[in-house]
Amino acid sequence: MDSEKKGRQWSSKSVGTAWQHRFFYLLIRLGGRWAAYLVLYFIIFYYMLLRPDQRKKSEYYLRRRFPDSGPVRRWWQSYRMSLELGKVLIDRAAVGILGPEVLSVTLQGREELLELVGEGRGLILMMSHVGCWQVAMAALRCLETPVNLLIQQEEGDVDRHFFEHSGTGSPFHIIDPRGYLGGTLEMMGALKKGEVLSVMGDRMLGSDRSSVPVRFLGDEMQVNFSSYKIASATGAPIAVLFSRKTGPSSYELQVSGVIRVPADLGRSKEAYLPYAQLFARLLEEYTVKNPFQFFNFYDMWNNDGEG
Amino acid sequence: MAIKEKLKKILVEELNLEDMTAEEIEDSTPLFGEGLGLDSLDAVELVVLIQKHFGIEIQDMEEGREAFESVETLAGFIDERLKG
Repeated sequence: MDSEKKGRQWSSKSVGTAWQHRFFYLLIRLGGRWAAYLVLYFIIFYYMLLRPDQRKKSEYYLRRRFPDSGPVRRWWQSYRMSLELGKVLIDRAAVGILGPEVLSVTLQGREELLELVGEGRGLILMMSHVGCWQVAMAALRCLETPVNLLIQQEEGDVDRHFFEHSGTGSPFHIIDPRGYLGGTLEMMGALKKGEVLSVMGDRMLGSDRSSVPVRFLGDEMQVNFSSYKIASATGAPIAVLFSRKTGPSSYELQVSGVIRVPADLGRSKEAYLPYAQLFARLLEEYTVKNPFQFFNFYDMWNNDGEG
Repeated sequence: MAIKEKLKKILVEELNLEDMTAEEIEDSTPLFGEGLGLDSLDAVELVVLIQKHFGIEIQDMEEGREAFESVETLAGFIDERLKG
């Protein structure tokens, strides 16, 4: 196993097949989000009842978030978590198919973000697979600064981003971490121009040389520290930004913290550990308040790359 | 000290190239991948080191991409900037 595969256990590939996705897209067009929600309840119930392999994927997280739960309660939590993910995916598709007006998105900390962008050293938005980060990113238009998004999509992934439905092209500049030098030069270039760079702080990208161990929900997991190193090299502040579904048709995007990484921290990965740990702590606080809007369905804590 | 020699010394000493001396680095050896074996994290460090030692900020990353091919191209890039 090479170091990249060992470091990265997640996949962006959807559980559903292409026709299942198309069926939901059609349902949204014909009946709106509510029709799609209605079908979703039954499909999630099917998966939870007859596909224990899928249910198991939520248990890595749930076991740590709710350590005292018994099997029945755990089943219910798994159902809730999967249902919330389904709703978020429907909402995301609905924004692309029906238009952004189907959802309202509020941004808490807008002034703070504008001040950080105003510093002129670029801004790293560190997000996570919680809530609906893609829909929430629509709220970033108020920054009036180009937004670059570090994102890796698997070959053959049938799940679409919201902008792919409307055919208008991505409102963000996509940086592929599989590109030249993992996209690091592109990321630094964007920040040096004073632009916004959005990264996911909870997923491993690249080799295990770029990872540090942090404590999250009681156990150790590996996270990538490249973003903190880039922040140190460029002087760009890091704003930790989480989204959450607050109602049937509303989302909130909130600045949960600002991380400033000093310059000249050098090559030692340990120097970046406190900043990665701070992010993990903020993410943990999010899961306390929004336990079923955390969408990492793999064993984030398995540092050996098995399973 | 010539730019190439200074660069090689920086690479060995500050990027901790193991089992290699500055004299052993060929001018045309690729910096990344199969050549010297540097990776994306080293690229970030290299941008910082070039600014620190030569006072040159790599703003245009496309330009940086060409410069980062080998010691020779990087030295040429630095020389051009210092003259300009």
